[in-house]
Amino acid sequence: MTIPSSSSQLTSLFENSVLNQIERMRLKPMRRLTNRSRGEHLSGKGGSSTDFADYRDYAAGDDLRYVDWNIFARLHRPYIKQFQHEEELHVVLIIDASTSMLFENKLLRARQLAAAFGIMGLLNVERVSAYAVHQKQGEQWILPPGSGRQKIRPLLTFLEQIGGGGNVPVEKAIETALRFHRGRGIVVILSDFLTLGDLTRPLNLLYSSGLEVWGVQILGDSEINPVMQGDLRLVDSETGETLDITNASELVNIYHDQRLWLQETLDTLCRRRNGRFVSTNSAADLRSVLFDQLCRQGWVTR
Amino acid sequence: MSWLSFTFAAGAWFLAASVPLIILYFLKLKRPKLEIPSLVLWQSVVNDQRVNSPFQKFRRNLLLLLQLLLLFLIVLALMQPRVQSGAGASEYMPILVDCSASMGAKDEATGKTRLDLVKEQLLDRIDRLGPDQKLALFSFADTGRRLTEFTSDRRDLKRAVNALTASDLPGRLDDVLRMTAAYTRTFPIDRITVMTDGNISSQIDFELPFKIDVVKVDPPGPNIGITEFSARRSGPEDWEVFVRVAGASADMREGTLELYENGQKTADQKLEVAVDESQRLVFPVTTTEPTLLEARLVPTGFDSMQTDNSVWLTLPAARPLRVWVSSELNAWKHAVRVLTQVELAGAEGGGPGALDYDMVVSESEDIEGAESPVSIFVGVIPSDLAGIVELREEIATVVDWNRTSPLLRHVQLGDVQVGESPAYIAGKGVKDLEERGYEVLIDGNLGPLLVQRREGLHVAFYFLFHTDRSTLPYRLGFPIMVANGVEASLKQAALSEVASAPTGVLPALSVEPDREYRVRGPGGDEVTLRSSGGGMLSGAAAGTVGRYDILDGADVITSIGTGLLNPLESSLAQVQELQFTEVTVKSEEGEVLDSDFPLWWTAALIAFGLMLYEWWYFQRGRGVMT
Repeated sequence: MTIPSSSSQLTSLFENSVLNQIERMRLKPMRRLTNRSRGEHLSGKGGSSTDFADYRDYAAGDDLRYVDWNIFARLHRPYIKQFQHEEELHVVLIIDASTSMLFENKLLRARQLAAAFGIMGLLNVERVSAYAVHQKQGEQWILPPGSGRQKIRPLLTFLEQIGGGGNVPVEKAIETALRFHRGRGIVVILSDFLTLGDLTRPLNLLYSSGLEVWGVQILGDSEINPVMQGDLRLVDSETGETLDITNASELVNIYHDQRLWLQETLDTLCRRRNGRFVSTNSAADLRSVLFDQLCRQGWVTR
Repeated sequence: MSWLSFTFAAGAWFLAASVPLIILYFLKLKRPKLEIPSLVLWQSVVNDQRVNSPFQKFRRNLLLLLQLLLLFLIVLALMQPRVQSGAGASEYMPILVDCSASMGAKDEATGKTRLDLVKEQLLDRIDRLGPDQKLALFSFADTGRRLTEFTSDRRDLKRAVNALTASDLPGRLDDVLRMTAAYTRTFPIDRITVMTDGNISSQIDFELPFKIDVVKVDPPGPNIGITEFSARRSGPEDWEVFVRVAGASADMREGTLELYENGQKTADQKLEVAVDESQRLVFPVTTTEPTLLEARLVPTGFDSMQTDNSVWLTLPAARPLRVWVSSELNAWKHAVRVLTQVELAGAEGGGPGALDYDMVVSESEDIEGAESPVSIFVGVIPSDLAGIVELREEIATVVDWNRTSPLLRHVQLGDVQVGESPAYIAGKGVKDLEERGYEVLIDGNLGPLLVQRREGLHVAFYFLFHTDRSTLPYRLGFPIMVANGVEASLKQAALSEVASAPTGVLPALSVEPDREYRVRGPGGDEVTLRSSGGGMLSGAAAGTVGRYDILDGADVITSIGTGLLNPLESSLAQVQELQFTEVTVKSEEGEVLDSDFPLWWTAALIAFGLMLYEWWYFQRGRGVMT
């Protein structure tokens, strides 16, 4: 997908038409992990909103303002009206901006999806924060939590300026982000998840912090369907390490097996922590991903 | 047992080129670099492949291994390896090639003769001749002939092989083995090779000084041939001609035998023979003049060998046997006179004179005409036996006699007494007689009573006692003995029986003494021979089946035909063992000529194939990623 450059566009990440559709969408977390503070996500406990939830017997000390006097007049017993408690959902966006994400517009797709998730959160009065993990000095890598429509512009600006580069693995990126984060909600990790490290610990940390783990794996077309022949010396874009392979065409099948195994592992890790996982092609159409794939898998609602 | 040897072993030093090859390989080895986002998945792929593919390390340096293998094969070809055979291990190798008549037998399917197959093997062997090996070629039939000396010149050897032709002679190894032993005496020979079809005489009177390898070619197709052609007089003008035809086929073979008299067909007869069988045919012939008979066999269907299908025989002119008996030998004259077909002379006294008599009976050694085919001397001690045998005035008795001698056949001498006794002089014995060419036919109690001496076509019997001083003329055996002498003379003069002459050497002829004659063979080639002082013309080679004319100037004085007439050759049978004087050698059927087998071209061929494979393997996809 080409990045729009017209001045009439709100952001260079996607077109306004896409933005309009995103504004009508809401995140759909698996559980209600919300903050005590005000928000638009309904709490399981009684709240102070205008939406009626239930009745309960009056108990000493209850605020008399919530007594339903109509019921009291008919039944001569006091009942307290309970309202749905609308709490604030914290949406944490962790964008892997390492060098490996610079291939085949993977970082762009990560920024697009982060913008989409962020906008959905902001327009639903959630607290949205973002972390771009890379090693480039002097570049902003944290977007502090904020909520409300007025935070859309800073979010888009933050995402647009992420340049990428460096060799920080995604597990380190998660731990780094957690050091600056407080609050319950969901965390969306946008990465290729191509790391030699163990993701169990960072995901456990996220889960124990009250965050529902959403993993979005973004792979390039050459990573999903590599076409190689002969003898090659593969060079890691992040570490510069090399690996010699012989007769690459015979290894492709094994590569596919390994890729699928990695996806299954990531999916299991996320699901065990009340999360969800999806793998997407960076070359796939953004509309298809947002409005079809994610919707069908229950990530967002329209 | 075969071993690998190298003609150019020093070529192994070229293997040192593998060192710079390895260095250059690692210096020049460049894999196309491909930057990818992360090695994580590929690392897992490689680890997984290493677990599941134990030859991954090998495949990683496949190019280097292929190049080293290519270098090794090229160096191997350069070193010219060869698999040494046991026979080919020696430097000098005599090869004896059978060129007997059976080698001309053809295979029904291919039409190739046995000699053609042997020549193919020989030419192949010459092509594989090692640089330090030398061959000497001999051919043999009934005698041997050296074709080449020890040489490694392939051109000379091939020329000699290509010039080989099958003769019309039977095969015998004796002569060529003696020739080979004599020729190779100064060379380090430990074995020789005989290439034959196996149709040779199995009894060989020769002490092997070396080992012998017999290489046999496959047996040819079916064959029938004439193995005997003879005639016996049945009347003053009548002859019975006998022809024996033998077969060498598992199936019954048919044919027609045609008889020609002086070139004119006079009779024919159909026949059937199978393997190891023969059929004897009889043809009556009436003639009084010298007649040249030809028996011609016309087989029905395929016949491997043509040589044994024609045989010639010369019938002599009919005449009585001319016998001269000394006038004093009345008992002998009486005994001869009663015999038929005999013309007796000598009753008038004097010597026989000239050569006109077929048999002479005399009591004196010094008579003119004593060179007749058969001479019987009575009461004569040959002059060359004067120092060995002496005559004593004693009664002698017969101790033993040679019952198989033509003269003494059916003769009983057990009670004969002799009034004078030939006795050995002290210190002398039978050995001294044999050294002078005499054979004792009758042994007396003191010495020999009758001796025989053969000289060319002449045979002379010496009664060392006078028969008139013995009881011999009064015994029944005496006329039988005289009749035996006449019968022997008839045979000697070819008046009662004649047989066809086999190929080899023409039979001796009685001609004018000291005179040159020309012998014209079947091919028109002529040889000039000179008769001996005794009027014998002998030694004319007759290696080809056919008619030989004896010419005196422009006149043909007689014609003699020859034939193969060898049952062994016509049978095409293969001997399984060769019985030498001391050892027995087995001849394996179908054995091929064992020789060094060069491997350099094999190595070169594999190297070329390897190079093509390497090119294909590395050019089909060289580091391409799309």
